[in-house]
Amino acid sequence: MISLLHAFLPLAELAMIQCLLALSQYTVLRAGVFSVATAGYACLGAYSAAVLVTQYGVSPYMGIAAAALVGLIAGIVLSIPLALLRGTFQAIATTAFGEVVCAMALYAEPITQGAMGINGIPKVVGPLGLLVALVLVTILIVTISRSGIGRAFDAIRQDETVAVSLGVNVRKYHAFAFAISGTIGGLAGALLAFNTYSIVPEQFGYIMVVPVLAAVVLGGRVSVAGPIIGATILTILPELARPLAAQRFFLQGGILIFVMVYLPDGIVDTVLNRIKVSRSARHLVLQPQPRSS
Amino acid sequence: MTHLSLDKIAKRFGGLQAVSELSVDVSSGEIVGLIGPNGAGKTTVVNLITGMLKASSGEISLDGKDITQETAVNVARLGIARTFQNIRLLKHSTVLENVLIGFHRQGRTSMLANMFGLPSVWREQAEFEEKAHSLLKRFHMQRFAQQPAGSLSYGHQRRVEMMRALASSPGVLLLDEPVAGMNDTEAHDLGILFRELANDGLAVLLIEHNMRFVNAISDRLCVLNAGKMIAKGSPNEVMSNPQVIEAYLGPEKYDA
Repeated sequence: MISLLHAFLPLAELAMIQCLLALSQYTVLRAGVFSVATAGYACLGAYSAAVLVTQYGVSPYMGIAAAALVGLIAGIVLSIPLALLRGTFQAIATTAFGEVVCAMALYAEPITQGAMGINGIPKVVGPLGLLVALVLVTILIVTISRSGIGRAFDAIRQDETVAVSLGVNVRKYHAFAFAISGTIGGLAGALLAFNTYSIVPEQFGYIMVVPVLAAVVLGGRVSVAGPIIGATILTILPELARPLAAQRFFLQGGILIFVMVYLPDGIVDTVLNRIKVSRSARHLVLQPQPRSS
Repeated sequence: MTHLSLDKIAKRFGGLQAVSELSVDVSSGEIVGLIGPNGAGKTTVVNLITGMLKASSGEISLDGKDITQETAVNVARLGIARTFQNIRLLKHSTVLENVLIGFHRQGRTSMLANMFGLPSVWREQAEFEEKAHSLLKRFHMQRFAQQPAGSLSYGHQRRVEMMRALASSPGVLLLDEPVAGMNDTEAHDLGILFRELANDGLAVLLIEHNMRFVNAISDRLCVLNAGKMIAKGSPNEVMSNPQVIEAYLGPEKYDA
């Protein structure tokens, strides 16, 4: 039993970090911004926290707060030039942002130790710490999503012209989405650094961008449960499929293709939509027909 | 008392003069019809007023304030609402959610309050939901409240769009072909509703194709042809204007 728990905990920790990153990615997608900057924020957050703690002796908790702040600032700054771009162009620009951040981590050797990465980071965040962070972030996102902000996000995502015609300030809401996404990304990066002893630049490249984006596509972009379920499945699946050895990534790719083709809204949103439609259909039948007008 | 006025508005797209020297105004309590054959520039006028397009020359003013160069968001926030010629709903959201987003302009809670879910936010939300339900009732749409907007029939989708525009409690309502694709009975019912809205103090600018409908409910008409205003006045005056007849039916020699 104990050995099972020992085998399970690191996986759960990884899943929770992936969930946080997926929530960062989800926030921008929900607002209709096709940004893939989450890994970049995580890189900034992880390095800020690690450098502050290992080189300047700052307390880890201050390091985590600083990382979230760095992510917040990065998100806001990034939103200014990106306000002019939409869709694929945002994806290209934010991909470039991620590459630039990784390159900085690689080449600013005096601060970041370059390709060697930063080692000997104190492990101060365990499963409980991650769980607390995930719960707090989830509560924040659920609150935002159920408030007027969530409604504005939904309007902008579905039809920006309509949103504008109703007085929704798209630039302001996009900047807000970037800021929240950056904060969560920076926070997740710091938690990752304090959970895994060491960080290296390349772990924040495509190897992080792709699974995080895939988690939201798999789970769903509208409901908050979507990214959480998507990230959990994508973290646990390769472990369950270990007997398939090197072929297990084919399984993962296959599932993604299947979901994109047959469940384009993602697993959670598809299920919720089905429930909504069947409920409203029942509602229509049960209510008396008003006199036709 | 709201007063929207267009003074010698013109819009060029490269070499094409889409609208030239158009002057029209509409005040609280009246319905002004803007009619004209296809391609006359009617929708361009709506886009100019709402700030989606910028006028090449001329001035648009709302209650005496120049809004010609305002952004589309600010124009909407000043209380000019519109519907779209090709219905634009949030298809995946429910009818109720579509109406609720209309209240955005009236939101008084800050973004930070929304972010942390302060009680004022939920109070405001409850108030908007209540108002949304009374709008649904007014348009006989309560039973569709939880339906995805995209699943409704054409006529019902038009109603959702109007409710959404009204939810922002605008001073001016621009209706871009609101009865297109509806039969005469449906159009008549909506006409009564538009008149009620005008009587409640709304300034209504009605862009229409359906002449019978426009004549029946407009106080004044303005006729556009190829971007130029060719006639203006009461429905009866306009309908007997030879230029209008020519624009719609062709020159007289073909009639004989």
